[in-house]
Amino acid sequence: MFRFDATKLILSKLDNQPIVANLGPTSDELWHAEHRDRNFYTYGNMGLCSSIALGMALCNDEKIISLDGDGSLLMNLGTLATINRENPKNLIVLVYDNEMWGQTGRQATHTSTGTELIEVAEGCGIKNTAIVHDLETLSEAFDKALVEEGPWFIVAKIEETDYLPVPTPEPEFTMYRFRNSFLN
Amino acid sequence: MSWEQIIVDSLKKADVSLISYVPDHSIGKVTKIIEKDNFFHLVPATREEEAIGIAVGGYAVGKKAAVFMQTSGFGNCVNAIATLCVPARVPIPMFINMRGGPGEFNISQVAMGKITNPIMDMLGIVNYTINDEFKMDQLIDGALKLCFANRQPVGVCLTSLLHGGKSV
Repeated sequence: MFRFDATKLILSKLDNQPIVANLGPTSDELWHAEHRDRNFYTYGNMGLCSSIALGMALCNDEKIISLDGDGSLLMNLGTLATINRENPKNLIVLVYDNEMWGQTGRQATHTSTGTELIEVAEGCGIKNTAIVHDLETLSEAFDKALVEEGPWFIVAKIEETDYLPVPTPEPEFTMYRFRNSFLN
Repeated sequence: MSWEQIIVDSLKKADVSLISYVPDHSIGKVTKIIEKDNFFHLVPATREEEAIGIAVGGYAVGKKAAVFMQTSGFGNCVNAIATLCVPARVPIPMFINMRGGPGEFNISQVAMGKITNPIMDMLGIVNYTINDEFKMDQLIDGALKLCFANRQPVGVCLTSLLHGGKSV
């Protein structure tokens, strides 16, 4: 399963629900798949994708989707404990796990040496979890997460592939567009 | 009015309802009031940069959020401020308990205390130091107003002269 195909699948299931995307190819591919006001692309702050989504979920009733990555989440595993403690019913964390730091030369991350993020999440107390290896099972798990109460934690094992062109980083416009969609 | 009540009243007046924080001895006096008030949503984070991320999320969906931490925690979240709040223009009032000042007993707190204000200055982040309660309400109200007008974080540094610090 490729991340771009998975992201397109997720988008096909959404109306206007907000998505926060991890920095690098996850944000780039989300932009290429469908550029929308409710996409919160990130360009720095590695590790904070799901923390930002948690803050959104605590302040808004819509389903909030975090498209995180294994290398990034490993920087901030504590946020899984905070997600469990705050217990937002409307948060879906989807981690694209390619077992590597893709952007820095495809070095192997700790998920390649036995660390199971799903077990970390469950150990933090998160009860609604799934691990998927193909688009069909991702589709089933995400459908469930959209209708059932969360917080949800889904690990999607993916294969890395060539990167798409990088859209211009525009953090101030991303924030402006995204935030205004909640104010108007 | 006590310094901690002044902070709580100003946050409320400015409609800052999401508070993320990592506990600290002095700031605990503020969070103790906040946790009893339904206006606020108080979120304990595992680390200060996570607290910044949570606050940014709250702001992104139209709310206002503040972060509480001590100087060591400010050191933990410099990258989140520099790579997220500054370029995305996210106004987050940061209330920072200044360790390493007069009366500090712990040698490990001194260096981080000394560089907290210079780091904010280098980042272009407006920061105020509060040593006593004289005109404190005006200063906090004004700091919050400037923060949201400027759409950048603001540092409000609370010293041991204000809150008594932490003793051994």
